[in-house]
Amino acid sequence: MSAFAEILNERKPSGYAWAYLDEDSKREVRRALLKAVCIPGYQVPFASREMPVARGWGSGGLQVTLSIVEPNDTLKVIDQGSDESMNASALRDLIARTTGVKTTTDAREATLIQTRHRIPEDDLAEGQIVVFQVPIADPLRVVDPRTSVTRRLHAERDYSPVWLYLYEDVATLAAPSFTHSYPVEVEGGYVMAPTPIPRHDIPRLNDAPFLALYGAGREATVYALPPYTFVKPLEFDDRPFEIEAFPMPCALCGAAESYLQAQEDSDPVRYVCSDVAYCRRRRESA
Amino acid sequence: MKPVIALRDVTVRYPSGVFGCREVSLDVYPGEVLGIVGESGSGKSTVLACANLDIAPTLGSVEVMGVDVTGVGGAERRALRAKSLGIVYQTPQQGLDLDVTAGGNVAERMFGAGHRSYQHVRARALSLHEAMELPLERFDVVVKAFSGGMRQRVQLAKALVTSPPALLLDEPTSGLDVSVQAKTLDLIRRIQREHGLATVIVSHDLAVIRMLADRLIVMKGGRIVERGLTDQILGDPQDPYSQLLVSSQLA
Repeated sequence: MSAFAEILNERKPSGYAWAYLDEDSKREVRRALLKAVCIPGYQVPFASREMPVARGWGSGGLQVTLSIVEPNDTLKVIDQGSDESMNASALRDLIARTTGVKTTTDAREATLIQTRHRIPEDDLAEGQIVVFQVPIADPLRVVDPRTSVTRRLHAERDYSPVWLYLYEDVATLAAPSFTHSYPVEVEGGYVMAPTPIPRHDIPRLNDAPFLALYGAGREATVYALPPYTFVKPLEFDDRPFEIEAFPMPCALCGAAESYLQAQEDSDPVRYVCSDVAYCRRRRESA
Repeated sequence: MKPVIALRDVTVRYPSGVFGCREVSLDVYPGEVLGIVGESGSGKSTVLACANLDIAPTLGSVEVMGVDVTGVGGAERRALRAKSLGIVYQTPQQGLDLDVTAGGNVAERMFGAGHRSYQHVRARALSLHEAMELPLERFDVVVKAFSGGMRQRVQLAKALVTSPPALLLDEPTSGLDVSVQAKTLDLIRRIQREHGLATVIVSHDLAVIRMLADRLIVMKGGRIVERGLTDQILGDPQDPYSQLLVSSQLA
């Protein structure tokens, strides 16, 4: 028995396979992921399993994470920037209990980060993997509900319907209405849904040193951005893409460059970092 | 001079086994209007669909600007259409997205042609909107709220926004009332002359054909039964079917 297999066997929780999924299932997901990494932004179908979370609650990201996790990984799970939300806690608990991997809230020391709707504020490095939970995998879903149509549009790289969508927004609303999930063009020409991350996080995908994997459980689709991939938001030549601007820095840590959330219930309204662990560390080290 | 669109011995056999058209050849030169008439099911629309590259002929070939483009598809066909072909359908929902503004419908064709400047696209779409005599205040209004005649004008604006050398018209005024029809035909004729467009018009309405077409093709059962100058055929039809067609017109 190899050392790796020994660890797997040793850490196997009773009644469950190591990392919950059986080895054949994990291999199938990894095969789809390999293809996805080879064709950046291309949506690869995979046999999405029933998971112990409902579809739409991170089942896609969970399958990706469980398929690639290794015994020596350090895991971080966030939901909208928070490690402590119910969903993030439950997913982290499941992954940790079925694998015995170390967990952390510090994005810098994590090797594997599963996230919903955010990229951690810390600069990530080579070798780190970010797994995104994906609600809607197809960026063309907003322009046509028929997969038969969107597949053809992707195959022909015909993205004029998305440009039309942007045009209509600018013409009638003065700016693109995508507040999150802003469509991006990826190296090789595919347009990709970056998942509902805020516009703030979009430029951070471009030429990023980390590997980004996207899992959509309900839509049974994975896609990926290999490290150092060119990623560009769709923008008119004369209407540059803009990230969110906030009227004041974080009320807790004073950060002016991070993505903030308004606390509507405070009077007056104040803004705090959406990345809770990052904000806490800044306060503690201050 | 090369024809803008040429069909050479085009036969279309649908998967059902039915022949859409048989051995149809035609040329359309810059500045001229070719009319295609015939009863329902005679193959008029199949021929137009071949010219618009919607259908690949089972036999024969299609040339656009002297280049054989038989059977092109995908991105190549899209680029070719944006560059060379504009089409106006009988029903606006075939050619337009009714939930999109007039400007947006026209702009989409420009995005398909690769334009990425908002100001340029908007200015160009607006100039076409004006040229089609559409009210300026309706530019940012969804086409759903437009009358039938205005919708056809939006289709015309969309067809012409990339300045293609060819214009295909599939019963462009059949759904319109008589006075709107007359105005729309006037507009089409003016635009066609101004831009010297090679035009194909399919219609079952001989009055429309008489007004627009220089040359005429009469189709029956998928075949061309007679061809010639419009005045000649309408004034002195030779083929029995053409005679029937002309005599069937109400005075």
